[in-house]
Amino acid sequence: MLALSRKKGESIILNNDIELTILEVKGDQVKVGVNAPKSVPVYRKEVYLQIQQENREAAAEHARQSLRSLLGAE
Amino acid sequence: MKFVTKLFGEVDIDESKMLTFEEGIIGYPFLHHFFMIYDAEQEKRSEISWMQSVEEPAFALPVINPLVIEPSYNPSVEDELLSQLGDCGEEGFLVLSTLRVPPDITQMTINLRAPLIINPQTRKCRQIIIEDEHYSVRFPAYDVLKKRGEKEGE
Repeated sequence: MLALSRKKGESIILNNDIELTILEVKGDQVKVGVNAPKSVPVYRKEVYLQIQQENREAAAEHARQSLRSLLGAE
Repeated sequence: MKFVTKLFGEVDIDESKMLTFEEGIIGYPFLHHFFMIYDAEQEKRSEISWMQSVEEPAFALPVINPLVIEPSYNPSVEDELLSQLGDCGEEGFLVLSTLRVPPDITQMTINLRAPLIINPQTRKCRQIIIEDEHYSVRFPAYDVLKKRGEKEGE
């Protein structure tokens, strides 16, 4: 992983059109500003991981059998 | 095109009906292409269909129109997030939600936070996360589906 040191007010540019700015540093919390085109989704990682987990569980193999019993297809 | 899936065996699919997720689905950036499969062994066509991955034969997601479960579902989405899907014309986008079906089926939930948005014209799709946290990742789905099933059986 690339590690860059930044001070408050300094930025990082990604891919020409995304800018991450350090807005505030308070103890162990950092406020980051994200300036990106609106077509670029920006997510907190914990939310992203939650949806990944949900997609994984939705694809579970036993789902079809369970659904068939609910829908009365036996 | 013949295609072998893990859940449904060999299926015959029409390549013109393939759905494309340019950046994959969330957490699975390598799954770009899917087909809708309707479980044909069932006598009546269910409201639940399956989105089968082309790249991964064992990966299929049960999906449903979220309005079936939550009639007031109407999340707001930035237009720009959907611009890459192309113009959908007057028909509008199609919205589907994934179902999580645990072994205890009464605990079944629908993911209202991360819908699959489909442009029926271009067949380009994107899974997005709704910013409004009131839309639950695990909204109960069992009771509604059970009641609908009973009604149909009468």
